[in-house]
Amino acid sequence: MEKHIARRILSKTAIYAALTVVFIIAIFPVLYTLFGSFKGNMELLTEGNRLLPRKFVLDNYKQAWRMANFSRYTANSLFMSAAIVAGTIISCTIAGYVFERGHFRGKNLIFTLVVSSMFVSLGSLTLYPVFMIAKFFGINKSLWGVIIIRVFGLNVTNLFIARAYIRTINYEIDESAMIDGCSFFQIYRRIIFPLLKPLIATIAILEFRHSWNDYLMPMVFTLSNPKRMPLIVGIMELKSSGEAATSWNLMLAGSSIALIPMIAVYLIFNRNFIEGLTAGSVKG
Amino acid sequence: MRIQPIAKRKVDSNSIQAVLMIAPMLVGFFLFTYVPIFYILRYSFYQSNGFTETWIGMQNFVRIFTRDLAYWKSLGNAFILSFGKLAVEIPLALLLAIFLNKALRGTGFFRVMLFLPAIISTAITGLIFSLMFASYNGIINHMLLSVGFISKPVSWFSNKWSAMFVLGTASVWNNYGINMIFFLMALQRVPKELYESADIDGIGSIRKFFAITLPMIGPTFQVVVLMAIVGSLKMTDLILASTNGQPAGQTEVVMTYVFKYFFGYDGRTVSVGFASAMALITGIILALVSLVYLKSTDKLGKAVE
Repeated sequence: MEKHIARRILSKTAIYAALTVVFIIAIFPVLYTLFGSFKGNMELLTEGNRLLPRKFVLDNYKQAWRMANFSRYTANSLFMSAAIVAGTIISCTIAGYVFERGHFRGKNLIFTLVVSSMFVSLGSLTLYPVFMIAKFFGINKSLWGVIIIRVFGLNVTNLFIARAYIRTINYEIDESAMIDGCSFFQIYRRIIFPLLKPLIATIAILEFRHSWNDYLMPMVFTLSNPKRMPLIVGIMELKSSGEAATSWNLMLAGSSIALIPMIAVYLIFNRNFIEGLTAGSVKG
Repeated sequence: MRIQPIAKRKVDSNSIQAVLMIAPMLVGFFLFTYVPIFYILRYSFYQSNGFTETWIGMQNFVRIFTRDLAYWKSLGNAFILSFGKLAVEIPLALLLAIFLNKALRGTGFFRVMLFLPAIISTAITGLIFSLMFASYNGIINHMLLSVGFISKPVSWFSNKWSAMFVLGTASVWNNYGINMIFFLMALQRVPKELYESADIDGIGSIRKFFAITLPMIGPTFQVVVLMAIVGSLKMTDLILASTNGQPAGQTEVVMTYVFKYFFGYDGRTVSVGFASAMALITGIILALVSLVYLKSTDKLGKAVE
């Protein structure tokens, strides 16, 4: 018996040790970025042996904010993410509602077409044609193109989550609203939408993460219009420019500006985050 | 008797409303999902610089199969990088999920913190790792030097395999969390009684893992690994944000290679037709990989049924 207990304590210690090691590896790059953003540029370029700065300086942020356009990039990121989150909440709940509750000819066929697109997904391989289509409509030179594509492009994962959630709402609610004279749209607007708060939180978090972190599509759409670049694109622009070797301070400050809101949202809503990220894929 | 026609009329107007509500999304969906596929199909038979186009038949495909070794190299790199990093990522994610499932004190904290890398932008991940692994002022070299692991700074990004190692490490760091959470959710659905009866029979923990845990989470495991394989083969942002194919195109992966031909990025000339043909072939290869994977893991998916 004693041997058994000893073994149990030992394995517990081993588990904690393993978790602690991974914990350190998980947060190290984040701490490196956040602390690095307070190091002087001289220190960044000539030494690399310390995690903590020798002296905390705010110069990097001042310089990034004023001279390197990061105030503009941040505003662009906020605008793009807010528009995509708000738009997607509406488009996905409508799509989920129509596919779950609506009746019209060809609904099942269309739904099958939408779902089967998951199997021919080519990822960034279709970015060029998407860009050319946007060009055809004259929305290829600003973040509006990205917003329209994300909002109306119908994300299959979000559609699945929305449809599954709306299915759990009792149909009797719809019926009694119908008897009271509500039309199909009014039921969505007045009855269903207000009941979707947990779903909306999930979609909002998923879309915020996606749009705030996105790189390739906004990069392509702002290539010829640097004033519209979101944060991530702006930071990467520094890296690919000739001054990459000397602008570590700006890259680290910029990265921190991009990381902090994301981490804050995550720490506050971590439960919704984890549930949301897993919900769609398991059901899909 | 009187209700019938009213209800019918109502259904009709409701159908119209339903169609009107979904119409903008359907237009967007076909425009941005299916039209691009037809676009690629068409242009794979053309030569185009984005402004003028000429029908050239199968020449793009001939070029890929007979003259463009770099495409196949980039495809090979995508496979090496994906399978190399998944060989670490998947077992690590599963092991962590098993640990977090033990309901020990503090696992809530660990779950939140271990998932943290998964919320961070892939592009930023690429940037941070390329700064950390910089040869002169990167912190990794300084740490390795101070513990005596190396005697002079390693120049990680000037050699193909060390650069691939950094890319793999960055990708594992960024992606193990999501797999860990999927595995954890599957583990939480395994009935506790199964383990209790195994305990009564005196079965060891390694046998318990292979006899109970793995079959019970089989279907989830199958899907998670499929998503991880396809996701890794499509890796784009991480490469663009760190090595960008350097040194000398040796860490180029298929997605970045095709992307650069489409947009004339990185000093290449815009070759829409050639890039479309490559996109088509890549799409077919990705579909084949998924198909072969699903066929060969058939048993895993049906394990509990």
